[in-house]
Amino acid sequence: MPDLAAARRRPALTLLKRTAVLVAMAISFFPIFWLFSTSFKPVDEWASWPPVWVSRHPTLQNYRIVFFPEAARTFAEAQKGSLDYKVSGSAWRAFGDSALIATASTALSVLFGTLAAWSIARYRTGGASLPLQFLSVRMFPPIAVVVPIVAMFSVLRLSDTYLGMILAYTAFTLPFSVWMIRSFIEDVPAELEGAAMVHGLGRFRAFLHATMPLIWGGLLATALFIFILNWSEFLFALVLTSGKVITVTLQVANYVSASSGKLYGVQAAMGAISTLPVVLMGYLIQRHLVRGLTFGAVKR
Amino acid sequence: MLELDSITKRFGEAAPALDALSLRLARGEFLSLLGPSGCGKSTTLAIIAGFLDPDAGRIRVDGRDVGELPPRRRGLGLVFQDYALFTSLSVRANLAFGLEAQGVPRAERRRRLEELARRLDLGGLLGRSARSLNMSEMQRVAVGRALITRPALLLLDEPMSNLDAHLRQRLRTELKQIQAELGQTVLYVTHDQAEAMSMSDRIAVMRGGRLQQVGTPEEIYHRPVNRFVAEFIGDPPINLVPCTVRPGTGGAAVSSPLSPASSFQPGLSPMQGEHLLALRAHDIRAVRAPGGAAGVPAKVRFVENLGAQHVLHVELAGSLVRVVTTPGLAAEGDTLHLTADLAQAHLIEAATGEVVRASGRRELAA
Repeated sequence: MPDLAAARRRPALTLLKRTAVLVAMAISFFPIFWLFSTSFKPVDEWASWPPVWVSRHPTLQNYRIVFFPEAARTFAEAQKGSLDYKVSGSAWRAFGDSALIATASTALSVLFGTLAAWSIARYRTGGASLPLQFLSVRMFPPIAVVVPIVAMFSVLRLSDTYLGMILAYTAFTLPFSVWMIRSFIEDVPAELEGAAMVHGLGRFRAFLHATMPLIWGGLLATALFIFILNWSEFLFALVLTSGKVITVTLQVANYVSASSGKLYGVQAAMGAISTLPVVLMGYLIQRHLVRGLTFGAVKR
Repeated sequence: MLELDSITKRFGEAAPALDALSLRLARGEFLSLLGPSGCGKSTTLAIIAGFLDPDAGRIRVDGRDVGELPPRRRGLGLVFQDYALFTSLSVRANLAFGLEAQGVPRAERRRRLEELARRLDLGGLLGRSARSLNMSEMQRVAVGRALITRPALLLLDEPMSNLDAHLRQRLRTELKQIQAELGQTVLYVTHDQAEAMSMSDRIAVMRGGRLQQVGTPEEIYHRPVNRFVAEFIGDPPINLVPCTVRPGTGGAAVSSPLSPASSFQPGLSPMQGEHLLALRAHDIRAVRAPGGAAGVPAKVRFVENLGAQHVLHVELAGSLVRVVTTPGLAAEGDTLHLTADLAQAHLIEAATGEVVRASGRRELAA
């Protein structure tokens, strides 16, 4: 009989917990719901009051404007006088530029990150404080470094170039790479490299042959994590480019009209498309994501 | 074969981890580096292997100074405590690792691999993944991987400390057999005195970065140079009984709770003060009733049953003394009479811990 009381109490508690989780999820997912919902709305529902939750006249027009310059021009023509939409560059180019910049800087970040992490993990390079110095770079608000970088880049003629963006993103994400990869390397016993070194390999080849095969999963997770950071970056892209290079995040901001501000539906369509790869990757690496966000402090 | 010449290593400001360590291994010798954790034995191994640079001193392998060489050029094989097998590779690839790294031709690789697999009885495992092995198989593969390059010196770093007692016993024998068959020079690092005693040609006992004593297991066991070695070696641990020494002509008189009537020891150089009488548990005889020579009465406090024999912990002058007896001699609470064979005892100066007079066992045996 004493079980009964406990059984009666427990469902109430469980219900409370579940409700709390549901509320938290609803709050978290609402912007995403709104993004997708808006992306299918016709013009007059974009910012109507009372708000339209789910459109009764869904349209693909917003997506057509994003992908087909022809549709964008037709749209601009049709809305002349009310929206004054000046057709911006193609979204395809933004996807191409973003893919190039994000991929290249992810590759560089993981490459240098792996080398630095190996050196720190196995040979205590820089002593106890170096990893923390890396971390302190991340404590900087990015806005604080943007202005000096702009000045530097204009002297070095790196402004509005792919190379400049790739360098900036590599530098920006390197601390994440180092911290995440370091924790993966430290999970592999150093003795493996020792065994490889005694039995015939040099230091670096010992790392490649003994440790690398065991951290591929971690490197992949790190790469996806860094890619997501790069793909969604806005501030550096905004400040360091002026039209020749354009990223996905900049393209979203480009859908504005002179007279009535933002083209919410088109922005939502662009946002929805550019979110998809990130959501997909996030789903793929969710197990490792926590580790990246805590700078590798959480062990598996 | 291996010569260590005044190796010193310091980590930070504290006392050196290794203090002028000098050690020599002959070809084909099995030498154990024995000591408690933190005694510097693992540091020594890391320095020989080339993972650490000594602050001072020289390392020679086969007469060649290897101090400046990277680990792979030192002519060593190494077996780690956790074996450190490459789990992503097969047993065959693990074994062939060293040969491949050295660029040994395929035919020669295959020949050596087969020969070694036969000797270590690894034939059936070659195709398996290193991940799928049990502890004993892992150890054999790790030994195989270390031996296949025919190293001048094989280093083993506590390879049995993660195993249960039963398996440890068996692998000890296996390892010793392989070593003897190959005539392999071995430096074996361990904190387990029974392992060191049972396998080694010689044992080097270390403590606090200093070498305490180097000798055959018999020498280390029967003629320890100081209190640390005497206490560290032997199971059950040696008894240390406080005693006083009074110098006389041509010797000195020793009196202790074990031998209240002070016994005169000829040849003992005159000295005075607090000493310890170190006596193995089986060098004390216990009888139920005093016989001809009256023993010292003592009460049994605790009986340790080891099967073939019992270790009695008896109370003598306020401290416990261990005595090995045949089973069934006494139970807790009984009073026994002890007689000690002082010829087998070591006399240790309490202040310095140095053995001032070793037991007569060696002379008796000779």
